[in-house]
Amino acid sequence: MMEIVNPAWLSMVVDGGRYGHADIGVPPSPALDRYAYTALCRLLGYAAGIAAIEVIGNDFSLKVDRDLSCAITGARVTAFAGSMPVAPWKVFMAKAGSTIRVKEAIEGLRYYIGFSGIIDVAKVAGSCTTNLECRFGGYFGRPFLKGDRIALKDVRDAGERAIDESLIPSMKAPHILRIIDGEERDRFSPETLKSLFEKGGDPWYKVTTKTNRTGIRLEGRPLEFRKGTEQSIISEGILPGVVQVPGGGQPIIVLYERTIGGYARIGHVIKADRDLLAHLKPLDKVRFQRITRGEAERLWNEKTTQYYNMLP
Amino acid sequence: MNWARYGEEGIRIVFGNTVSADVHEKVRRYYFFLKSLRLQEIIDIIPSFTTCIIHFNDQLTDFDTLIAHVREKEGDLQKIDIPTPVSHTIPVMYGGQYGPDMEFVCSYAGLAPDEIIEIHAGTVYTVFAVGFIPGFPYMGTLDKRLFVPRLETPRLKVNEGSVGIAQYQTGIYSFESPGGWRIIGKTDRMLFDHRQEPYSLMKIGDQVRFVPV
Repeated sequence: MMEIVNPAWLSMVVDGGRYGHADIGVPPSPALDRYAYTALCRLLGYAAGIAAIEVIGNDFSLKVDRDLSCAITGARVTAFAGSMPVAPWKVFMAKAGSTIRVKEAIEGLRYYIGFSGIIDVAKVAGSCTTNLECRFGGYFGRPFLKGDRIALKDVRDAGERAIDESLIPSMKAPHILRIIDGEERDRFSPETLKSLFEKGGDPWYKVTTKTNRTGIRLEGRPLEFRKGTEQSIISEGILPGVVQVPGGGQPIIVLYERTIGGYARIGHVIKADRDLLAHLKPLDKVRFQRITRGEAERLWNEKTTQYYNMLP
Repeated sequence: MNWARYGEEGIRIVFGNTVSADVHEKVRRYYFFLKSLRLQEIIDIIPSFTTCIIHFNDQLTDFDTLIAHVREKEGDLQKIDIPTPVSHTIPVMYGGQYGPDMEFVCSYAGLAPDEIIEIHAGTVYTVFAVGFIPGFPYMGTLDKRLFVPRLETPRLKVNEGSVGIAQYQTGIYSFESPGGWRIIGKTDRMLFDHRQEPYSLMKIGDQVRFVPV
């Protein structure tokens, strides 16, 4: 049994995602930083993925009642197991009766805590992850609260493993999000496209407080449509990372909680940059960089190599 | 039918550019055809008014290979079994506390609440898509007299069960969520139950009639 001593600002059970039911509107709701989540699973010896805890905020703490191999990935954190400092992206041992405490996130926003045992929560539609909005999956469909008790099953020793420093991504500003063209790109005015992507423009957007697991709402110079152009679209399926622009012109980057959208799509954040979205927080500044599909593929291949190289 | 890449791991199949029963039937048939192939390369299929989006596993396949593979089987398109649409009757409490936008709709349409209700409940709707949130049916098409624009600023919170209209569509908020449609009533029918399959009460093609209570 583990007990949540302090759930921080938001902590919840996640996994690789709930797929296969998007036709009835069920979104994947996965761990938002997929690279960090995958690294965590591999560190703990679960190549196929396990349930883990995704946390936002300082002072998360959890008490364990048995010796347990654990790891923390994602945002760079200062953390302790009992009084011992814990290295990030590396397996550590928490002693029975001790408390794992994450003092603060130094770089990035979301961090992931996993154990060499299976968090015992029921699967919903094939996945353990939490759909917060619809209150299902995870721990009774909700974020953790102080005093929650979590059972672990099939606990084993994870051994000594670490992710090489060179394979830990930077989450430092400036945040540049590379995008490939979206379906309604041509509906935007040439001035808007120029300002957005070219030197000398005004390309910086601020992440607003209306940002959550559903989407990142940005604020900056409004994106203008060409005169006389239809602004909304006939609603249709969307995939994570799509950049939608409502009539007001402030872009929204859609994350993993929506299956259908009705706003114009100016671009798609490339796969290689999508994990960074998990770490954007209010007041952060971001800009878009337009690249070709070929470049996007090359960048993804590079990232795939990192996935392969995570562990020897 | 037009196939295009959609982001990096998607395919967008476009069947038309207008909302119509004809385009809907094409989307629906193709969706059930894709499902019947049971390809592990396909992670998700999202059918809607005019398109089918395929989310594919790019570790197992790529755009060209997957398309070739699917098109090779298209000969079966007319042969596959398509489920008979289910007819649903949805009780709705219209107006008052349940329909905060009824007043706006009345003044926009120039009709009395009773007339709005009569028109809204007097049509059998087709479910064109299910989504954005689990179990939310996008239904159409609405009688032209009820066409209203979306809210300029969407609500941060629309109550679960709310029945809304926007342009040619009507829908039911299966969960409390943000939303920009004009709310004219509320139902207590559960549209999505994560505890048992089929989780969603409705699926593409189903027929829906609202009954005032």
